[in-house]
Amino acid sequence: MQAPLRYESQVRTALVEGQKDYHQVTEDIVRPVEAAPSRLWWIGFIISVCCLLFGVWSVTEQVIYGVGQWNLHRTIGWGWDITNFVWWVGIGHAGTLISAILLLFRQGWRTGVNRAAEAMTIFAVMCAGQFPIWHMGRVWLCFFIMPYPNTRGPVWPNFNSPLLWDVFAISTYFTVSVLFWYSGLIPDIATVRDRAKVKWRKLMYGVLSFGWTGSTKHWQRHESLSLVLAGLSTPLVLSVHTIVSMDFATSVIPGWHTTIFPPYFVAGAIFSGFAMVQTLLLVSRKVLKLEGYITLEHIEVMNKVIVLTGSIVGIAYLTELFISWYGQNKFEGWAFAQNRVNIFSPYGWSYYLMMGCNVLSPQIFWFRKMRRNLTVTFFMSVIVNIGMWFERFVIIVTSIYRDYLPSSWAMYYAPSIWEVGFYIGTFGLFFTCYFLFSKFFPVIAIAEIKHILKKSGESYKEKMGPLEQMPVEEFAHEYAHAH
Amino acid sequence: MAVKKFVVGVFTDEAVLFPAIGKVRSAGYKIHEVYTPMPIHGMDHALGLRDTSLHTAGFIYGITGTTTALTGIGWVFNIDWPVNIGGKSHFDLAAWIPITFELTVLFSAVGMFLTFLFLNQMAPFVRKHHFNLRSTDDQFTMVIELTEKSNAEEIKAFLTNVGAVGINLQEAETGWWIGRYDTDKTPLKHKGELLA
Amino acid sequence: MSSIKEHFVTPVRYKQWSIGLMAVGVLSLIIGFIMYGGHDQGVRFWAALLQNSVYFLLLVNAVMFFIAAVSLAMGGFQMTFRRVSEAIAASVIPIGFITFVILLCIVFGGKTAIYEWLDRDAVAKDPALNGKKGFLSVPFFMIWTVLTIFLWSFLGWKIRQLSRSIDDTPLTVAEGKKYIFKNTVWTALYIVWFGLTVASVTPWLWLMSLNAHWFSTMYSWYTFASTFVSGCALLTIFVIYFKNQGYLEYVNEEHLHDLGKFMFAFSIFWTYIWFDQFMLIWYANISEETVYFKPRLDGAYVGVFYLNLIINFICPLLIFMKRSSKRNWGTVTFMSVLLIFGHWLDFFQMVFPSPRISPDRVPLNLFDFGIALGFVGLIMWQTARVLSKYPLLAKNHPFLKESIIHHT
Repeated sequence: MQAPLRYESQVRTALVEGQKDYHQVTEDIVRPVEAAPSRLWWIGFIISVCCLLFGVWSVTEQVIYGVGQWNLHRTIGWGWDITNFVWWVGIGHAGTLISAILLLFRQGWRTGVNRAAEAMTIFAVMCAGQFPIWHMGRVWLCFFIMPYPNTRGPVWPNFNSPLLWDVFAISTYFTVSVLFWYSGLIPDIATVRDRAKVKWRKLMYGVLSFGWTGSTKHWQRHESLSLVLAGLSTPLVLSVHTIVSMDFATSVIPGWHTTIFPPYFVAGAIFSGFAMVQTLLLVSRKVLKLEGYITLEHIEVMNKVIVLTGSIVGIAYLTELFISWYGQNKFEGWAFAQNRVNIFSPYGWSYYLMMGCNVLSPQIFWFRKMRRNLTVTFFMSVIVNIGMWFERFVIIVTSIYRDYLPSSWAMYYAPSIWEVGFYIGTFGLFFTCYFLFSKFFPVIAIAEIKHILKKSGESYKEKMGPLEQMPVEEFAHEYAHAH
Repeated sequence: MAVKKFVVGVFTDEAVLFPAIGKVRSAGYKIHEVYTPMPIHGMDHALGLRDTSLHTAGFIYGITGTTTALTGIGWVFNIDWPVNIGGKSHFDLAAWIPITFELTVLFSAVGMFLTFLFLNQMAPFVRKHHFNLRSTDDQFTMVIELTEKSNAEEIKAFLTNVGAVGINLQEAETGWWIGRYDTDKTPLKHKGELLA
Repeated sequence: MSSIKEHFVTPVRYKQWSIGLMAVGVLSLIIGFIMYGGHDQGVRFWAALLQNSVYFLLLVNAVMFFIAAVSLAMGGFQMTFRRVSEAIAASVIPIGFITFVILLCIVFGGKTAIYEWLDRDAVAKDPALNGKKGFLSVPFFMIWTVLTIFLWSFLGWKIRQLSRSIDDTPLTVAEGKKYIFKNTVWTALYIVWFGLTVASVTPWLWLMSLNAHWFSTMYSWYTFASTFVSGCALLTIFVIYFKNQGYLEYVNEEHLHDLGKFMFAFSIFWTYIWFDQFMLIWYANISEETVYFKPRLDGAYVGVFYLNLIINFICPLLIFMKRSSKRNWGTVTFMSVLLIFGHWLDFFQMVFPSPRISPDRVPLNLFDFGIALGFVGLIMWQTARVLSKYPLLAKNHPFLKESIIHHT
């Protein structure tokens, strides 16, 4: 019995840079967890907490005085808040894509970024969940949405309503994401635990590690669990944004009712999620000194995903636009031609902003130089997120601000300070959670990096020269022997 | 739940570990466990472990979720409180698919995770004996049970021969117990010293 | 160390079968023309030709897409059977030509019973059709068709050419990097064109316009999903066949497993797309959209409608879920054949229930199968012909060794 043959084409760029062995990997990744937080960390954390508190205040005002605090009105019963909801849910999707879909496709580069991306998913879904919950108005009765035997009839929620599908989809998504993330974290927490010198750290990581030992049987079950959870998460992540899109697409409203919505929302979600991953990781790798693990190669690959999904979204935009004309339905045609494409209409500008940010600007990532430029990447990641926010704004507001009757046209929807405060508060929540995560947990999956280290690590790839030079037949023979 | 004696061999390279496992097994020693910092493909087969059937459990949980959703919604809409929704039939399978799917995934994922914890005997405050603290860092730890038939010195010599870089003798609790990692109330302290 | 077989020699029986099947196709064509050609503009005849040619063209083009997508994702696992995929994709050229001729005959033959928008009187009277005559017009249709088929053929040929260009020159690492980059550029171009054709405009023109009034933004992605599943199935069948003949020594269960996963995953994807399109139309219940499902769900085609779901969703879901069935050569072969048939049936129900073709009666008979077998024969013949011309192994490709040790 021999260890499996480790070989990877020399043509591929190494995924772990520098001369690293297993121990060095542990040291590098656990260092931020064991060291005292830097000044930069504290500044960021305090700003985030302030934003969060502003959000709490805004929401408190809204709960006390009612949803009337928000500038919603007759036609735009959904506005800023539902835009934010969809935006946050969308951001979450990249995490699951990286952790689940890329696991199934065996993309080795995911190991450098999956942990942070999964954490981002969970925090983004937490933020998203706030909007529909507080929008309920009488939030203390929010449990009415769950189907449970009650004394009111019993009256059941409408299982045919996409809004109830959302309840199930988002809560399932959140639960499964947490399980997936946590089951991956357990071995790494055990690593931190076994290095701990301080009492509280031993206690905390001891409790959180669930007593993980790393025995072969445990690893075998762990692999099986990860694989099945990945297999479940893949359709799950599709279903979540699909169901979000059905909130719109099932209703008979021009601009909303179109069959391409589900996959196009999913593509858009992955698009914006990757942009957010870029934003977070560009900062994290610098602050936590993890450039050897989140390399330029990782950044470049993610930029490729951004240009791909951006273009898919572009095709969907154009498809929608084209079919609104091809269908020859007056109302559908008007919704597009007058409320969106017409730049002089009240919200025409937002349509062009969306097109510019989501379809045109990512096209610069066709060029390798741009993909590997950190400044451009960071700038683009922000642009894409702005663009994707406006996509939801365009879909929601431009479809409903003019009802069928001109007497029901209500223009210039603008959020009140409390809506803005709520949105800022979710940023606070998101970044507070992320800062805490990056302080207390390893932001890179240690065990997974070790798993690919001897295949894709720079120092090990250098030693693969003889295998690379070997004639194919001899190589195959060698492999058959080792297997 | 028993206290037993073990010979612990530490390896630093899986390329050494794999052949060592084969030799130890064919020499007839009883391998208690092999602890590794990361999953290693083929290790379970090298140790002669059978495949896990965790995924089968996941399938059964999933089917349970599907059934729960379909019967639940079907009962509510057809028997308990039939409501006319948009003039559609009371048996609207197309509109039930989303929730049915979500519950399938939810049941399967949660069920599997709990089964995983149960099979591995893992939970907060569960403690087990750790033979080598660096087996979650960079070392591979092979633990051989000392039975009546085997001799500690012989096993130690054998392990040195197959490439172990550190060897010691430990007496340990094989099961789990409730405890904390900061107050190390191990029923038994580590016995023996690292040789190399 | 046994040396590997580098060249494929077409077995005589294989050749006989492919020629026999093509003969069946030609015979069906002639009989079909005699039986149906004269009646009602020969709508039965032309519709069958349209369905089959478009289906098989998209099918072999999906294999090209497979090559391009996997290459673009830097996937190494395809290398052990890369030449097989290339040989299948070479059929884009002959089938593309046949499809072009058929579309030419339909459009210039004024087959208004196929495409309602060719009927000038109807268009003039109908404001909806009149409104979109800029798009549903003969010049645009023909120009786009020519561009589509030509660029598919050309870009695909270019990528295959690149693959063969290094057969005699081992690459250094630096050259390998350059080679991969060049490959990426051409595959990216192919994907872009694929997005503009298969994922958007082309299915609208060729198929969606059969129901000239009806529209669905999802339609093109639906045809893509359908043909990609069957494309993977076609590739798998050929890989298994050549492996069975003693070629492709480096292909093993791991590769089979991955091809099975592709079929499994994209069958689910197809179902997802199918469900979205169906459910959104069903839910909103607007008559101008539901009219599409009227003959399918509520008319003559209801059997085909459910059969389509059973073959293309239930079967792959239940059978491919197990790991062992994806690694079983027999099961995978059976499933591949089933899926190719299933999506052929899917295309059948996309074409025939159209308002002017045969909305009230399912006309499926031996003629349809005869034409289909003709295309199968053509693909077999062309694949073997191309495969026997070049080495079976892309032995200097930088990712070949990764593919040999590929492990699922």
